[in-house]
Amino acid sequence: MITIDLTDANYAEHVAATANGLLLLHKKLCPHCLNMKKVIEKFIANGNETVPVMFIDIEENPQAMSGLSIERVPTLLVIKKGKVAATRVGLMNPRQLGTLYKDA
Amino acid sequence: MKPLKTFDLLILGGGPAGMAAAIYAAQANMRTALVESNICGGLVNSTYVVENFPSQKCIPGMDLAQRILEQTESLGVTVDQAADVTRLALTGSMKEIETEEFLYTSPALILATGRQPVPMDIDTHDCKQVHFCSICDGAAYRGKNVLVIGGGNSGFNEAYYLHSLGVKKIHLVEKMDHFPALQAAQDKLLSRDDGVTAMTSTVVVELIQQDKLMAVKLRNTATGEIHHVPVDGIFVYMGQLPNNRLFADIVALDSDGYVITNDDMETNMPGVFAAGDIRSKKYRQITTAVADGTIAALSAGNFLRNKKM
Repeated sequence: MITIDLTDANYAEHVAATANGLLLLHKKLCPHCLNMKKVIEKFIANGNETVPVMFIDIEENPQAMSGLSIERVPTLLVIKKGKVAATRVGLMNPRQLGTLYKDA
Repeated sequence: MKPLKTFDLLILGGGPAGMAAAIYAAQANMRTALVESNICGGLVNSTYVVENFPSQKCIPGMDLAQRILEQTESLGVTVDQAADVTRLALTGSMKEIETEEFLYTSPALILATGRQPVPMDIDTHDCKQVHFCSICDGAAYRGKNVLVIGGGNSGFNEAYYLHSLGVKKIHLVEKMDHFPALQAAQDKLLSRDDGVTAMTSTVVVELIQQDKLMAVKLRNTATGEIHHVPVDGIFVYMGQLPNNRLFADIVALDSDGYVITNDDMETNMPGVFAAGDIRSKKYRQITTAVADGTIAALSAGNFLRNKKM
Protein backbone atom coordinates (compact mmCIF):
# COMPACT_ATOMS: atom_id res chain seq x y z
CA MET A 1 0.00 0.00 0.00
CA ILE A 2 1.40 3.39 -1.00
CA THR A 3 0.88 5.65 2.02
CA ILE A 4 1.85 9.25 2.65
CA ASP A 5 1.45 11.17 5.91
CA LEU A 6 0.62 14.76 5.12
CA THR A 7 0.96 17.89 7.25
CA ASP A 8 -0.51 21.37 7.40
CA ALA A 9 2.44 22.53 5.37
CA ASN A 10 2.20 20.16 2.43
CA TYR A 11 -1.30 18.71 2.16
CA ALA A 12 -2.58 21.20 -0.43
CA GLU A 13 0.39 20.62 -2.68
CA HIS A 14 0.05 16.83 -2.46
CA VAL A 15 -3.69 16.87 -3.11
CA ALA A 16 -3.23 19.09 -6.14
CA ALA A 17 -0.59 16.74 -7.51
CA THR A 18 -2.67 13.56 -7.04
CA ALA A 19 -4.38 12.16 -10.13
CA ASN A 20 -6.33 9.48 -8.21
CA GLY A 21 -6.12 8.73 -4.52
CA LEU A 22 -7.65 8.62 -1.08
CA LEU A 23 -7.14 11.03 1.80
CA LEU A 24 -8.18 10.02 5.32
CA LEU A 25 -8.42 12.62 8.05
CA HIS A 26 -8.04 10.84 11.37
CA LYS A 27 -6.71 11.06 14.89
CA LYS A 28 -4.94 8.57 17.07
CA LEU A 29 -7.49 7.95 19.83
CA CYS A 30 -10.38 7.25 17.49
CA PRO A 31 -11.65 3.71 17.02
CA HIS A 32 -13.67 4.59 13.95
CA CYS A 33 -10.54 6.03 12.35
CA LEU A 34 -8.70 2.78 12.99
CA ASN A 35 -11.64 0.94 11.48
CA MET A 36 -11.45 3.09 8.34
CA LYS A 37 -7.75 2.31 8.02
CA LYS A 38 -8.63 -1.40 7.97
CA VAL A 39 -11.35 -0.75 5.40
CA ILE A 40 -8.88 1.13 3.21
CA GLU A 41 -6.35 -1.70 3.53
CA LYS A 42 -8.97 -4.15 2.25
CA PHE A 43 -9.98 -1.83 -0.58
CA ILE A 44 -6.35 -1.46 -1.66
CA ALA A 45 -5.74 -5.22 -1.42
CA ASN A 46 -8.70 -5.91 -3.69
CA GLY A 47 -7.17 -4.78 -6.95
CA ASN A 48 -6.43 -1.16 -6.09
CA GLU A 49 -2.77 -1.54 -5.18
CA THR A 50 -1.71 1.49 -7.21
CA VAL A 51 -4.10 3.90 -5.49
CA PRO A 52 -2.09 6.12 -3.13
CA VAL A 53 -3.49 6.68 0.35
CA MET A 54 -2.76 9.92 2.17
CA PHE A 55 -3.33 10.45 5.88
CA ILE A 56 -3.66 13.61 7.94
CA ASP A 57 -3.66 13.46 11.74
CA ILE A 58 -5.97 16.36 12.53
CA GLU A 59 -4.69 16.84 16.06
CA GLU A 60 -1.19 17.41 14.79
CA ASN A 61 -2.40 19.30 11.71
CA PRO A 62 -5.48 21.33 12.66
CA GLN A 63 -5.14 23.79 9.79
CA ALA A 64 -5.64 21.05 7.23
CA MET A 65 -8.93 20.18 8.90
CA SER A 66 -10.28 23.71 8.58
CA GLY A 67 -8.67 24.15 5.17
CA LEU A 68 -10.56 21.14 3.87
CA SER A 69 -13.75 22.21 5.72
CA ILE A 70 -13.83 19.00 7.77
CA GLU A 71 -15.57 18.96 11.15
CA ARG A 72 -15.39 15.31 12.18
CA VAL A 73 -13.17 12.28 11.90
CA PRO A 74 -12.89 9.90 10.26
CA THR A 75 -13.53 11.72 7.02
CA LEU A 76 -12.45 10.14 3.77
CA LEU A 77 -11.84 12.22 0.67
CA VAL A 78 -11.58 10.74 -2.81
CA ILE A 79 -9.10 12.75 -4.85
CA LYS A 80 -9.44 12.81 -8.63
CA LYS A 81 -7.41 15.08 -10.91
CA GLY A 82 -6.00 17.04 -8.00
CA LYS A 83 -9.38 17.90 -6.53
CA VAL A 84 -11.72 16.51 -3.88
CA ALA A 85 -14.19 14.45 -5.90
CA ALA A 86 -16.12 12.87 -3.02
CA THR A 87 -16.32 13.18 0.75
CA ARG A 88 -17.64 10.65 3.24
CA VAL A 89 -17.84 11.18 7.00
CA GLY A 90 -17.90 8.18 9.32
CA LEU A 91 -17.76 4.47 8.68
CA MET A 92 -18.27 2.43 5.56
CA ASN A 93 -17.31 -1.07 4.47
CA PRO A 94 -14.80 -1.94 1.73
CA ARG A 95 -17.59 -2.54 -0.79
CA GLN A 96 -19.08 0.90 -0.14
CA LEU A 97 -15.64 2.44 -0.42
CA GLY A 98 -15.20 0.72 -3.79
CA THR A 99 -18.44 2.23 -5.04
CA LEU A 100 -17.58 5.67 -3.66
CA TYR A 101 -14.17 5.61 -5.36
CA LYS A 102 -15.54 4.34 -8.65
CA ASP A 103 -18.41 6.84 -8.81
CA ALA A 104 -16.38 9.89 -7.79
CA MET B 1 -17.05 -18.89 -5.62
CA LYS B 2 -15.44 -17.34 -2.57
CA PRO B 3 -12.26 -18.82 -1.11
CA LEU B 4 -13.13 -21.42 1.53
CA LYS B 5 -11.33 -21.21 4.87
CA THR B 6 -11.80 -24.12 7.26
CA PHE B 7 -10.98 -23.95 10.97
CA ASP B 8 -11.65 -25.86 14.18
CA LEU B 9 -13.36 -22.87 15.73
CA LEU B 10 -14.91 -19.67 14.42
CA ILE B 11 -15.52 -16.67 16.63
CA LEU B 12 -17.90 -13.98 15.47
CA GLY B 13 -17.05 -10.72 17.22
CA GLY B 14 -13.71 -9.37 18.39
CA GLY B 15 -14.45 -7.68 21.69
CA PRO B 16 -12.84 -8.83 24.93
CA ALA B 17 -15.01 -11.98 24.98
CA GLY B 18 -14.16 -12.98 21.43
CA MET B 19 -10.45 -12.26 21.80
CA ALA B 20 -10.22 -14.08 25.15
CA ALA B 21 -11.93 -17.07 23.54
CA ALA B 22 -9.47 -16.91 20.64
CA ILE B 23 -6.49 -16.84 23.02
CA TYR B 24 -7.70 -19.88 24.93
CA ALA B 25 -8.62 -21.74 21.76
CA ALA B 26 -5.24 -21.06 20.16
CA GLN B 27 -3.43 -22.20 23.28
CA ALA B 28 -5.47 -25.42 23.10
CA ASN B 29 -4.17 -25.91 19.54
CA MET B 30 -7.51 -25.23 17.91
CA ARG B 31 -7.17 -23.63 14.47
CA THR B 32 -9.14 -20.47 15.16
CA ALA B 33 -10.48 -17.58 13.12
CA LEU B 34 -11.99 -14.45 14.58
CA VAL B 35 -14.26 -12.40 12.31
CA GLU B 36 -15.08 -8.83 13.31
CA SER B 37 -17.15 -6.37 11.30
CA ASN B 38 -15.45 -3.40 12.93
CA ILE B 39 -12.06 -3.32 14.61
CA CYS B 40 -11.30 -5.61 17.51
CA GLY B 41 -11.99 -4.25 20.97
CA GLY B 42 -15.73 -3.68 20.86
CA LEU B 43 -17.09 -1.08 23.23
CA VAL B 44 -13.75 -0.98 25.04
CA ASN B 45 -12.45 1.09 22.14
CA SER B 46 -14.93 3.83 22.94
CA THR B 47 -14.00 3.90 26.62
CA TYR B 48 -11.76 6.78 27.59
CA VAL B 49 -9.91 4.94 30.33
CA VAL B 50 -10.39 1.52 31.91
CA GLU B 51 -9.65 1.46 35.62
CA ASN B 52 -11.05 -1.91 36.68
CA PHE B 53 -9.18 -4.44 34.58
CA PRO B 54 -6.80 -6.46 36.79
CA SER B 55 -3.13 -5.64 36.14
CA GLN B 56 -4.04 -2.29 34.53
CA LYS B 57 -4.52 0.48 37.05
CA CYS B 58 -5.55 3.00 34.40
CA ILE B 59 -5.33 2.36 30.68
CA PRO B 60 -7.02 3.97 27.64
CA GLY B 61 -9.63 1.62 26.25
CA MET B 62 -8.05 1.53 22.80
CA ASP B 63 -4.67 0.62 24.29
CA LEU B 64 -6.17 -2.25 26.26
CA ALA B 65 -7.98 -3.54 23.17
CA GLN B 66 -4.78 -3.29 21.13
CA ARG B 67 -2.80 -5.25 23.71
CA ILE B 68 -5.35 -8.06 23.75
CA LEU B 69 -5.38 -8.07 19.95
CA GLU B 70 -1.58 -8.29 19.77
CA GLN B 71 -1.65 -11.27 22.13
CA THR B 72 -4.39 -12.90 20.06
CA GLU B 73 -2.53 -12.46 16.76
CA SER B 74 0.77 -13.57 18.27
CA LEU B 75 -0.80 -16.98 18.94
CA GLY B 76 -1.55 -17.53 15.26
CA VAL B 77 -5.25 -16.73 15.31
CA THR B 78 -6.59 -15.59 11.93
CA VAL B 79 -8.14 -12.19 12.63
CA ASP B 80 -10.34 -10.67 9.92
CA GLN B 81 -11.28 -7.12 10.90
CA ALA B 82 -13.59 -4.76 8.97
CA ALA B 83 -15.20 -7.92 7.60
CA ASP B 84 -18.51 -7.37 5.87
CA VAL B 85 -20.47 -10.39 7.17
CA THR B 86 -23.28 -11.24 4.79
CA ARG B 87 -24.51 -14.60 6.09
CA LEU B 88 -24.31 -16.90 9.08
CA ALA B 89 -25.25 -20.61 9.01
CA LEU B 90 -25.52 -22.34 12.37
CA THR B 91 -27.83 -25.31 11.90
CA GLY B 92 -25.60 -27.79 10.05
CA SER B 93 -22.71 -29.81 11.44
CA MET B 94 -20.35 -27.28 9.84
CA LYS B 95 -21.03 -23.69 10.87
CA GLU B 96 -20.43 -20.94 8.31
CA ILE B 97 -19.61 -17.26 8.34
CA GLU B 98 -19.76 -15.71 4.89
CA THR B 99 -18.15 -12.34 4.29
CA GLU B 100 -17.74 -10.28 1.13
CA GLU B 101 -14.37 -11.97 0.66
CA PHE B 102 -14.39 -15.46 2.21
CA LEU B 103 -16.50 -18.39 3.34
CA TYR B 104 -15.33 -19.48 6.79
CA THR B 105 -16.40 -22.90 8.10
CA SER B 106 -15.85 -24.88 11.30
CA PRO B 107 -17.67 -27.46 13.44
CA ALA B 108 -17.92 -25.04 16.38
CA LEU B 109 -18.68 -21.34 16.61
CA ILE B 110 -18.76 -18.74 19.37
CA LEU B 111 -21.11 -15.78 19.11
CA ALA B 112 -19.45 -12.75 20.70
CA THR B 113 -21.14 -9.94 18.83
CA GLY B 114 -21.69 -7.72 21.84
CA ARG B 115 -23.93 -4.69 21.91
CA GLN B 116 -24.36 -1.35 20.21
CA PRO B 117 -25.51 2.04 21.50
CA VAL B 118 -29.21 2.80 21.78
CA PRO B 119 -30.07 5.67 19.43
CA MET B 120 -32.13 8.67 20.51
CA ASP B 121 -35.84 7.96 20.55
CA ILE B 122 -36.81 11.15 18.73
CA ASP B 123 -36.25 12.08 15.11
CA THR B 124 -32.84 13.73 14.94
CA HIS B 125 -33.19 14.44 11.20
CA ASP B 126 -29.71 12.98 10.76
CA CYS B 127 -28.27 15.77 12.85
CA LYS B 128 -24.49 15.69 12.38
CA GLN B 129 -23.92 16.99 15.89
CA VAL B 130 -25.31 13.84 17.54
CA HIS B 131 -22.48 11.56 18.65
CA PHE B 132 -21.91 8.27 20.44
CA CYS B 133 -18.16 8.48 21.03
CA SER B 134 -16.63 11.35 22.99
CA ILE B 135 -13.09 10.11 22.32
CA CYS B 136 -13.76 10.32 18.59
CA ASP B 137 -15.72 13.54 18.37
CA GLY B 138 -15.32 15.37 21.67
CA ALA B 139 -12.39 17.60 20.72
CA ALA B 140 -14.56 19.56 18.30
CA TYR B 141 -16.53 20.90 21.28
CA ARG B 142 -13.76 22.63 23.20
CA GLY B 143 -15.19 25.90 24.50
CA LYS B 144 -18.71 24.91 23.45
CA ASN B 145 -21.88 23.61 25.10
CA VAL B 146 -22.76 19.94 25.07
CA LEU B 147 -25.69 17.80 26.14
CA VAL B 148 -24.92 14.32 27.48
CA ILE B 149 -27.90 11.97 27.50
CA GLY B 150 -27.80 9.15 30.03
CA GLY B 151 -27.03 9.10 33.73
CA GLY B 152 -25.35 5.71 33.89
CA ASN B 153 -21.63 5.07 34.30
CA SER B 154 -20.96 5.72 30.61
CA GLY B 155 -22.80 9.04 30.67
CA PHE B 156 -20.94 10.32 33.72
CA ASN B 157 -17.53 9.00 32.64
CA GLU B 158 -17.80 10.39 29.14
CA ALA B 159 -19.12 13.72 30.45
CA TYR B 160 -16.06 13.85 32.70
CA TYR B 161 -13.85 13.21 29.69
CA LEU B 162 -15.58 15.95 27.70
CA HIS B 163 -15.15 18.37 30.58
CA SER B 164 -11.46 17.52 30.80
CA LEU B 165 -11.16 18.25 27.07
CA GLY B 166 -12.29 21.81 27.71
CA VAL B 167 -15.98 21.68 26.89
CA LYS B 168 -17.37 24.88 28.38
CA LYS B 169 -20.75 23.67 29.59
CA ILE B 170 -22.09 20.15 30.02
CA HIS B 171 -25.75 19.41 30.63
CA LEU B 172 -26.26 15.78 31.63
CA VAL B 173 -29.81 14.47 31.59
CA GLU B 174 -31.31 11.19 32.79
CA LYS B 175 -34.91 10.15 32.18
CA MET B 176 -35.23 8.20 35.43
CA ASP B 177 -35.76 9.95 38.78
CA HIS B 178 -32.25 8.99 39.87
CA PHE B 179 -28.83 8.49 38.28
CA PRO B 180 -28.04 4.80 37.88
CA ALA B 181 -24.27 5.53 37.74
CA LEU B 182 -22.01 4.46 40.57
CA GLN B 183 -21.72 7.17 43.20
CA ALA B 184 -17.97 7.43 42.56
CA ALA B 185 -18.57 8.25 38.90
CA GLN B 186 -21.16 10.87 39.85
CA ASP B 187 -18.90 12.46 42.46
CA LYS B 188 -15.97 12.60 40.05
CA LEU B 189 -17.95 14.68 37.57
CA LEU B 190 -20.07 16.74 39.91
CA SER B 191 -17.08 17.75 42.03
CA ARG B 192 -15.92 19.84 39.09
CA ASP B 193 -16.30 23.46 40.15
CA ASP B 194 -18.21 24.79 37.20
CA GLY B 195 -19.63 24.00 33.82
CA VAL B 196 -21.60 20.91 34.77
CA THR B 197 -25.29 20.50 35.46
CA ALA B 198 -27.02 17.14 35.91
CA MET B 199 -30.77 16.65 35.83
CA THR B 200 -32.93 13.61 36.53
CA SER B 201 -36.49 13.05 35.24
CA THR B 202 -35.51 14.88 32.07
CA VAL B 203 -35.95 13.89 28.43
CA VAL B 204 -35.12 15.49 25.10
CA VAL B 205 -38.26 16.29 23.14
CA GLU B 206 -36.87 18.27 20.20
CA LEU B 207 -33.66 19.32 18.52
CA ILE B 208 -33.58 22.90 17.28
CA GLN B 209 -31.49 23.09 14.12
CA GLN B 210 -30.55 25.83 11.66
CA ASP B 211 -28.10 24.11 9.32
CA LYS B 212 -26.54 22.77 12.50
CA LEU B 213 -27.68 22.05 16.02
CA MET B 214 -28.53 25.22 17.94
CA ALA B 215 -30.43 24.01 21.02
CA VAL B 216 -32.56 21.29 22.54
CA LYS B 217 -35.94 21.31 24.19
CA LEU B 218 -35.91 19.36 27.44
CA ARG B 219 -39.00 18.26 29.34
CA ASN B 220 -39.10 17.51 33.04
CA THR B 221 -41.23 14.37 33.21
CA ALA B 222 -42.24 15.08 36.81
CA THR B 223 -43.43 18.67 36.35
CA GLY B 224 -44.00 18.85 32.59
CA GLU B 225 -41.84 21.96 32.48
CA ILE B 226 -40.05 22.66 29.18
CA HIS B 227 -36.52 24.06 29.08
CA HIS B 228 -34.86 25.53 26.01
CA VAL B 229 -31.12 24.83 26.32
CA PRO B 230 -28.56 26.08 23.79
CA VAL B 231 -26.12 23.30 22.90
CA ASP B 232 -23.64 22.72 20.09
CA GLY B 233 -23.48 18.96 20.31
CA ILE B 234 -25.13 15.90 21.85
CA PHE B 235 -23.46 12.77 23.15
CA VAL B 236 -25.77 9.80 23.64
CA TYR B 237 -25.17 7.14 26.31
CA MET B 238 -28.61 5.63 26.76
CA GLY B 239 -27.47 2.07 27.12
CA GLN B 240 -26.92 -0.69 24.61
CA LEU B 241 -28.85 -3.11 22.42
CA PRO B 242 -27.77 -6.67 21.55
CA ASN B 243 -26.11 -7.21 18.16
CA ASN B 244 -28.22 -10.23 17.24
CA ARG B 245 -29.29 -9.38 13.67
CA LEU B 246 -27.46 -12.28 12.04
CA PHE B 247 -28.89 -15.02 14.28
CA ALA B 248 -32.02 -13.66 15.97
CA ASP B 249 -34.23 -16.20 14.19
CA ILE B 250 -31.96 -19.17 14.82
CA VAL B 251 -30.61 -19.08 18.36
CA ALA B 252 -32.81 -18.95 21.49
CA LEU B 253 -32.91 -15.42 22.88
CA ASP B 254 -34.39 -13.92 26.02
CA SER B 255 -37.15 -11.30 25.86
CA ASP B 256 -34.54 -8.52 25.49
CA GLY B 257 -32.81 -10.21 22.57
CA TYR B 258 -29.79 -11.65 24.38
CA VAL B 259 -28.56 -15.20 23.74
CA ILE B 260 -29.59 -17.74 26.35
CA THR B 261 -26.78 -20.07 27.40
CA ASN B 262 -26.06 -22.50 30.20
CA ASP B 263 -23.07 -22.11 32.54
CA ASP B 264 -20.83 -23.66 29.87
CA MET B 265 -21.85 -20.95 27.39
CA GLU B 266 -23.71 -23.47 25.24
CA THR B 267 -26.69 -22.16 23.28
CA ASN B 268 -29.65 -24.25 22.16
CA MET B 269 -27.76 -25.05 18.93
CA PRO B 270 -25.20 -27.88 19.13
CA GLY B 271 -21.71 -26.53 18.52
CA VAL B 272 -22.80 -22.91 18.95
CA PHE B 273 -21.64 -21.02 22.03
CA ALA B 274 -22.08 -17.43 23.15
CA ALA B 275 -19.89 -15.16 25.25
CA GLY B 276 -19.72 -11.59 26.47
CA ASP B 277 -22.30 -8.84 26.31
CA ILE B 278 -24.47 -10.68 23.79
CA ARG B 279 -25.21 -13.33 26.42
CA SER B 280 -28.24 -13.08 28.68
CA LYS B 281 -26.81 -12.21 32.09
CA LYS B 282 -26.87 -9.62 34.84
CA TYR B 283 -23.40 -8.06 34.82
CA ARG B 284 -21.65 -6.84 31.68
CA GLN B 285 -18.08 -5.82 32.32
CA ILE B 286 -14.81 -6.37 30.46
CA THR B 287 -13.81 -8.92 33.07
CA THR B 288 -17.06 -10.85 32.81
CA ALA B 289 -16.74 -10.85 29.02
CA VAL B 290 -13.24 -12.27 29.30
CA ALA B 291 -14.52 -14.94 31.69
CA ASP B 292 -17.32 -15.86 29.29
CA GLY B 293 -14.87 -16.08 26.41
CA THR B 294 -12.61 -18.37 28.41
CA ILE B 295 -15.42 -20.73 29.29
CA ALA B 296 -16.82 -20.70 25.76
CA ALA B 297 -13.44 -21.65 24.27
CA LEU B 298 -12.91 -24.44 26.79
CA SER B 299 -16.43 -25.74 26.17
CA ALA B 300 -15.92 -25.57 22.41
CA GLY B 301 -12.73 -27.60 22.83
CA ASN B 302 -14.63 -30.18 24.81
CA PHE B 303 -17.34 -30.26 22.14
CA LEU B 304 -14.78 -30.85 19.41
CA ARG B 305 -13.08 -33.65 21.34
CA ASN B 306 -16.39 -35.42 21.98
CA LYS B 307 -17.32 -35.02 18.33
CA LYS B 308 -14.16 -36.85 17.23
CA MET B 309 -14.73 -39.79 19.60
